[in-house]
Amino acid sequence: MDRVLEKVGTGFSWICAMVLLGTVFCIVGYLLINGISTINIKLIFGETDPMNALLFRKQVFDGLFPAIIGTFALVALSVSFAVPIGLAAGIYMAEYCRGSLKKVFSLFFDVLAGIPSIVVGLFGFSVAIFLHKYFSSKVYPCLFISALSLAFLVLPYLIRTTQISLENLSEGIRRTAPALGATKLQNIFYVLIPRSLSGIASGVILSIGRCAEDTAVIMLTGVVVTSGVPKSVFSNYEALPFYIYYISSQYSDKQELLSGYAAAIILLIICGLLFMTTFFVKHRLTYHALYRP
Amino acid sequence: MENKTKIKINGLSFFYNDHRVLNNITVSFPKNTITAIVGPSGQGKTTLMMILNRLWESIPETRMEGSVKIRFDDRFHKIYDQSYPLSQLRRLVGMVFQIPNPLPMSIYKNIAFPLKLAGVKDKGLISEKVETALKNAFLWEEVKDRLKDNAFALSGGQQQRLCIARALTLEPQILLLDEPTSSLDASAASVIEELMINLKDRCTLLMVSHYLDQVKRIADTVMELSDGKLFNLTSD
Repeated sequence: MDRVLEKVGTGFSWICAMVLLGTVFCIVGYLLINGISTINIKLIFGETDPMNALLFRKQVFDGLFPAIIGTFALVALSVSFAVPIGLAAGIYMAEYCRGSLKKVFSLFFDVLAGIPSIVVGLFGFSVAIFLHKYFSSKVYPCLFISALSLAFLVLPYLIRTTQISLENLSEGIRRTAPALGATKLQNIFYVLIPRSLSGIASGVILSIGRCAEDTAVIMLTGVVVTSGVPKSVFSNYEALPFYIYYISSQYSDKQELLSGYAAAIILLIICGLLFMTTFFVKHRLTYHALYRP
Repeated sequence: MENKTKIKINGLSFFYNDHRVLNNITVSFPKNTITAIVGPSGQGKTTLMMILNRLWESIPETRMEGSVKIRFDDRFHKIYDQSYPLSQLRRLVGMVFQIPNPLPMSIYKNIAFPLKLAGVKDKGLISEKVETALKNAFLWEEVKDRLKDNAFALSGGQQQRLCIARALTLEPQILLLDEPTSSLDASAASVIEELMINLKDRCTLLMVSHYLDQVKRIADTVMELSDGKLFNLTSD
């Protein structure tokens, strides 16, 4: 009986894994089949000469280039807001926070993780209106507000993964540096963080993916259909997820729909590039911190 | 030549979660000797050693009563005084753990690590101290041509000697060894025993061991810890 159960359990796990893999392949395959033929220079740069567009000398009006730049800028800005705060909070939760205060903070971070993205978007919009009314009438929903809202959205993931990777380190590793005279901060900086870089990197990757794909937040905090390449962090901008959304709901011919597929492929490629950059940075950091002779 | 007392423990009691582990212990350890602490597992031998470098303070739900004084610079210092700097204490009282725990760095960087923590920047000085520490740990000849290699590439016995060398880098006056040879084979263990005898004139050594024959070979004093009390087994 036990052996049958074991086999059933193993078989079921395999089926689940296959379903998951199969779904990923189906989605990516579907996108590639429909969209790959549409990807060409004209789709990205429109009527503008690519070199001029890349050097920001001329605006692109009918291509995906501004949306690509907008997505890059958005992800870069929101991750650079979220990572220092998330890392610091995760270190605080794992190393300094104790007792009932820790339980309270854990609860708050879990609640934060559960807030729907549209609510976060509404919050960002309200902040923009508040600042517009009481601070400066020049403040509008913009790249900066979107980046802050997205940072808010991904903060719980960063805090949680940092906290868990640090807490999972064994007692032996934790005691090595203090026994040699390290202060608490030295232990965290020289031993614990380098050991937890894998976990922290996976948290950062999760955040990058979330920031690149979220549509609800950016719809309420500054993304527009056409604005060109963002002129500053306080201007409107375009983004690929939003482009995919409105082109699939308002396309007027097959060509436009196919450009939506192409945009989806480009978004996946951008995420892939950002993930690889994170891995590379993590690898260099680990090398620099530890092995460099 | 009289043996000066290095460590004085008075009325020491220790509690994990209100469970009493050490019961009103008063004991002194003389300078430049090897004292072995034996006894059944889980009785508090490691805890007793952690009292001397205050490493137990990071464990939650623990409590200590009593006083501990260590002689540094011809004067006894109360090491649990608020004014006594913790990192300073841990540089003077080194510790080696049961399972070797090299850091994931090169051999050189492992040994130089305590110097980095102490803020030493002079590369020449660091290089000199690393060599001295490795020689004192009987490891220099084996690794002098591969100092940049990853410390994890060493064998178990070599890793343990690496940890001892690392603990010796700052020239501590007291060395605490928690079952230093328990994860090693007989020949690796005998190298470490020899090295401990060699260190006696530089350090005061305190070791926990389960191997009574090892203890008979190298220890000057043998104490047994059971039921929270310390009994001196050496007959003299």
